[in-house]
Amino acid sequence: MTSGSTLVLGMGNPILSDDGVGLLVAGRLAEEALPAGVEVRLSEVAGLRLLELVRGFTRVIIIDALKSPAEAGREPGEIVRYEAKDFKGGHRWRSAHSIGIDTALALGHELGYNMPGEVIVFAIEAEDVETFGEELSPPVAAAAERVHELVREELGA
Amino acid sequence: MKKVSVDPITRLEGHGKIEIFVDDDNVVQNVYFQIPELRGFERFCVGRPVEELARITPRICGVCPEAHHMAATKAIDAVFGVKPARTGVMLRELLYNAFFVTDHTTHFYILAGPDFIMGPESDPATRNILGVIHKVGLETGGAVINLRAEAAELISMIGGKQIHPVCGLPGGVSQAITAEQRDRMVQITAAQVEFAKFSLQLFDDVVLANNDYVELIKSDAFTHATYNMGMVDENNKVNFYDGQIRVTGQDGSELEKFEGRDYLAHIAEHVEPYSYLTYPYLKSVGWKGFVDGPDSGVYKASPLSRLNAADGMATPLAQQEYERFFSTLGGKPVNATLATHWARLVELLYAAERSHELATDPDIIDPDVRTIPTGIVGEGVGVVEAPRGTLYHHYKTDDQGMVTNVNLIVGTTNNNAAISMSLKKAAEGILTGGSEIREGNLNMIEMAFRAYDPCFGCATHTLPGDMPLEVTIKSETTREVVATVKRNM
Repeated sequence: MTSGSTLVLGMGNPILSDDGVGLLVAGRLAEEALPAGVEVRLSEVAGLRLLELVRGFTRVIIIDALKSPAEAGREPGEIVRYEAKDFKGGHRWRSAHSIGIDTALALGHELGYNMPGEVIVFAIEAEDVETFGEELSPPVAAAAERVHELVREELGA
Repeated sequence: MKKVSVDPITRLEGHGKIEIFVDDDNVVQNVYFQIPELRGFERFCVGRPVEELARITPRICGVCPEAHHMAATKAIDAVFGVKPARTGVMLRELLYNAFFVTDHTTHFYILAGPDFIMGPESDPATRNILGVIHKVGLETGGAVINLRAEAAELISMIGGKQIHPVCGLPGGVSQAITAEQRDRMVQITAAQVEFAKFSLQLFDDVVLANNDYVELIKSDAFTHATYNMGMVDENNKVNFYDGQIRVTGQDGSELEKFEGRDYLAHIAEHVEPYSYLTYPYLKSVGWKGFVDGPDSGVYKASPLSRLNAADGMATPLAQQEYERFFSTLGGKPVNATLATHWARLVELLYAAERSHELATDPDIIDPDVRTIPTGIVGEGVGVVEAPRGTLYHHYKTDDQGMVTNVNLIVGTTNNNAAISMSLKKAAEGILTGGSEIREGNLNMIEMAFRAYDPCFGCATHTLPGDMPLEVTIKSETTREVVATVKRNM
């Protein structure tokens, strides 16, 4: 990859209803014309794998589903934009089996890897991530359209 | 009366809840271990061509997709009644052992390492991989990352993809490997053997050289004399990819040995109203509740139980470690839950050695990697040892090979009763009456199940992301939370 490169990373599970939204949006972006230096990848796993995926890029834009606790009061389809400093409580960024994205980034820095200086997450509040299926709920499907545009804007596409 | 929350329980896959009820003197009364229900897996699968299950089932788990791919592929072989080509089997086994190397390494350094290298009651802010690499050296952290990258390279050469292999087809695999790829695999697997040896040495230096840790491992709070289950080859040596299922008892003798396809004759599932996850037990012994001993059908299916259920390891260096393991811990069987971490490293060495054996076998580049099926049986069971225990996939189809029924028993489910018992016993041993409930105490209770490396994602037939488990300690009488311990991730 080149210096100044950007990774668009779609995360999720393609057979768990709304959890597939990040993969869907990223998959669509992968088929479109994007500015030079932008690469799109899809990942169904987190943890240490995140470190391996983002290593070497200067900027990373993650698209993923979010399942907030009830007290957060978020509605399905709500889009939340996070930056690296905000990483707490994401749906998939915190792999309890392994490590979360904050730890992955810190570990990469400790090990002297070329880690991204900028990490942005577009998180979409999910309605259902507990039923097997390949369809998005209507509010999340609508949000997918908006996130697609937001990521394109972020990329200057 | 008390309830203590640990939110989140660090370093555990899946979403679940542990509730520990104590009386006014902090004496443990009950421990409940719950996970949420995830819906519609069978409905999602029914009506699809059975070959698709080798690509669908890996997606129910973000941790061990390779295990599901292998169990599914073997079940699909059986559905079509096809004996897979020899080199196809070798390539599957090579991929699978490389996956074990990755998974066991990750567990040791990321999950187990913090408890032992930093200390079970150390500051949670540093009781993680970052603390570990500061203590053991940055180069070890780099070596872990490098090993994972190389294993992923090997897996993608055979599997077609790094995370979710697509190579498994009824009768073999989709493509042969080239001599050039083989050469690279020989290089990678040789390095894996060295890394496994290094990891065992580290365990010696950090854990076995520390008498407090050895006492902790051997302590009664972390000990359960259940039956042990594991897959063995024709010589009763541990095998992850193929063989018969062997169950041994509290005196180390064989209780039963059976073909994976006969699992329903040997395993039944107990249900509790508070849990969607069933509690498998040995039919021949019966369900007697959450108790151990020869009269209780509770069994473990884990790295530790695999070593207990076998007569040894099929590779030379791992065999030496196997012998040292049992001689150090007082002979077979070892019932100390925390010894699972050591057992996992013995298996890591075996997986690396076995990968190297397969990569250096001249037949590994034979282009004949698949036997095309010509008929259909309509039912098949595929069994492998997943890192977390024996994994059963059972499919039924119509005469066109379209799925009509799916049943899975995953590694964590096998251990459900044992995990529940381990939690209760650890809680009883650590939260002794009248003592203050501290974060370090709760971490030591967590250690009881972290040893099993439970993964509730696929245990409920899905993965709802990587959400934390929650532990609460509640009053037995008022059901109120007494104290809360929060962790930073």
